[in-house]
Amino acid sequence: MRAAHVLETLPLRLAGAAPTLAALSDRALLTAWGSTVAAFLDPGSPERRAIEADLVGTTRLSAPGLQAGLEAVLGGVRGEPAARLFEEAWAMREGHGGSSTVPAEGFALVILASNLPALAVQPLVAALAARRPVLLKSPTTEPVFAPAFVRALCWRLPALEGAVAAVTWPGGSEELEEPLLARAAVVVAYGDAPAIADLEARAKRLGRARFVPYGPKTSLAVVGPEADVKVAAAGLARDVALFDQRGCLSVGAVYVEEDGPHGSRRSRALADALAAELRTLARRWPPGPEGGPLDPADAGAVQQVRAEADLRGLYRPALDLSEGTVVVEPEPAMRATPGLRTVRIHPFADLSDLEAVLAPWAGRLQGTALAGASAEALAPALERLGVSRTAPPGELQSPDALWHNGGEHPLQVFV
Amino acid sequence: MIEHSDLVEAIRRFVADSGAAELEELAREAFAFQVERSAPIRTLAAARGVDARRIASWREIPPVPALAFKSVDLLPAGVDPERALTFRSSGTTAERRSVHRHPFPGLYRAAIDAAFPGRCLPTRSGGAPVPMLSLIPSPVEVPDSSLSFMVGHAIDRWGAAESTYALGPAGLDAEGAADWVRERSLLPESSPCLVLATAFALAAWIDHLATVDTRLRLPRGSVVFETGGFKGRRRELTRSELVGRTETYLGVPPDRVVREYGMTELTSQLYTRALDGGDPDLFVPPHWVRVRVLDPATLEEARPGEVGLIAVFDLANLGSALHLLTEDLGVIEDGGLRLLGRARGAELRGCSLTAEEMVS
Repeated sequence: MRAAHVLETLPLRLAGAAPTLAALSDRALLTAWGSTVAAFLDPGSPERRAIEADLVGTTRLSAPGLQAGLEAVLGGVRGEPAARLFEEAWAMREGHGGSSTVPAEGFALVILASNLPALAVQPLVAALAARRPVLLKSPTTEPVFAPAFVRALCWRLPALEGAVAAVTWPGGSEELEEPLLARAAVVVAYGDAPAIADLEARAKRLGRARFVPYGPKTSLAVVGPEADVKVAAAGLARDVALFDQRGCLSVGAVYVEEDGPHGSRRSRALADALAAELRTLARRWPPGPEGGPLDPADAGAVQQVRAEADLRGLYRPALDLSEGTVVVEPEPAMRATPGLRTVRIHPFADLSDLEAVLAPWAGRLQGTALAGASAEALAPALERLGVSRTAPPGELQSPDALWHNGGEHPLQVFV
Repeated sequence: MIEHSDLVEAIRRFVADSGAAELEELAREAFAFQVERSAPIRTLAAARGVDARRIASWREIPPVPALAFKSVDLLPAGVDPERALTFRSSGTTAERRSVHRHPFPGLYRAAIDAAFPGRCLPTRSGGAPVPMLSLIPSPVEVPDSSLSFMVGHAIDRWGAAESTYALGPAGLDAEGAADWVRERSLLPESSPCLVLATAFALAAWIDHLATVDTRLRLPRGSVVFETGGFKGRRRELTRSELVGRTETYLGVPPDRVVREYGMTELTSQLYTRALDGGDPDLFVPPHWVRVRVLDPATLEEARPGEVGLIAVFDLANLGSALHLLTEDLGVIEDGGLRLLGRARGAELRGCSLTAEEMVS
């Protein structure tokens, strides 16, 4: 069915479904949700098999890389975290003096990004917990997952039909989007700064929707003096390589406390260990696209980093381009990574100075992997810079349904 | 120590006259000069195992990544830093801007003088000055822009007295630019004009003309010079859309639209040969510049027709990096370069790849 036709009728349909959604029990929703998530986690399920090949193509991840990514995203929104989210939603509705079965007014429009597979589940589970009808806008470059997931969910719980929808249309189309922006109660947008600014301006001009932006962010790691660099490297390799480093929780820089003000011994040791781990992971999770050449644009950007490091005589363990790139960068200033598993390791004399070094990145940092007690002690300082998630190395890219993405409670977005 | 004033003069003569020297010989001398005077170039040559005294071709000179201009000062030792022009790339993020310190301004002007008139200027009787309208800020407004420097030099050198800038601190003066064109159109014997613009500014001006339903007619024989991309524009135009709208709203046909390929990190520019009936999208290097495309995975030279990273050897870039590995993608065809886009660069990721998606 053409998007224009679908979109014409959707606002009314979504608004009309609010009472039905409000009347659904947590148990019914959680059962359907859990079963659907499990199906998409299982490579042998009919639902998963139906989209596997397309999803490998649209996400440009290798099949093993896709599986690892789905486990990270879907693993965080099933079972206990999802149940806790529903409990919190119930308490929130009751706490506001209303009955838990009063329908939410209006629907949420969620504009998804194409870089992470299954990203749709995070806002979707929160919207359902908050009993907010939701329209997911899939990117045209990845139109596969969200519609398939919504279909599977509604098949398990037909009462949801009408309350959730996933549609793909060319983003930025004012004709298609204006009726939605005018009628949505909440607009959640994943995008870069200019795109979000444009969408926000249009949303404000057209309606009264609450606008929740998830703009571009990056993540880093901190390795304290008491941390074993080899152990840290094993976890950090996952934080770097998962999703081929396309996520806002993907680590692109590591700060390592050294023995002295000009030392780099631990950083070099970490670089060697991380390079070895990335080499291993490249066999387990080959970078996408599987079996094809690396994206020339990505590869070209990484070649810039490599050649610049060589020009400056920086330490760079030997790695094939497809395995990743590790550079020991003596300058403390953080720089964005071009992706393809590229990491700069910064030797650092005193971690207590890190907040000042990262200050220019305030508001654009998403997560930090922390290794060692000294690094963990930095959590409050990192929070002041806008970091919304800290975790041990290896766990940064696996947030659960209760993660306060961007510092905001997932339910507050939809309530 | 290599005496650089002689080398600069030899290159300047070669830029002005392709018969004055042999490119490979100058390339060897220039690279030896850079290895001697620039520690980063020396480090890169050592890392690549290249001996400056033994290179047989400019191809063996290790390309310097454009990214290095954000972190390293490539100014050779022994030159007068006070005389250096300093150009910076436009910054769109909190990331560092590229800085190109250019110690040999005479080479910069020589490169413009040798290439610009033949590729960009409308035909003039007796070499008469050309009325120029610039939608690129003047070098007074933006002294660290290499593009403004080039435009400023072109207006000083070949521009008529009525030449003007219509982009300044207050933004694009779309109506002022339209009035300038109207005045030219009303003159009984109006000379062909040259409009200099970035693709972004040209598109914005034409958007304005479309909004106010105004179709201008530049004098017959006028030329539009266009450079750069659409970064930051909410909705990008295709090249053919822009050219079509240029004809509709300015009266300049597609074969009078010249494109330029240049960047802060280079001294010389490549132009399309539209005015000579050439492919309107094929950039052709001048005789002191060589262009090739490298396989992004291996940095080996790609075969003609294969997409790769553009590397530019620019003899006039003596003061920084003779051989530049750009961040652009392209293909080599018929001795020219077809530009295909830009390597993604180190932009923030994270739930953010909808950028093109949302505006596509």
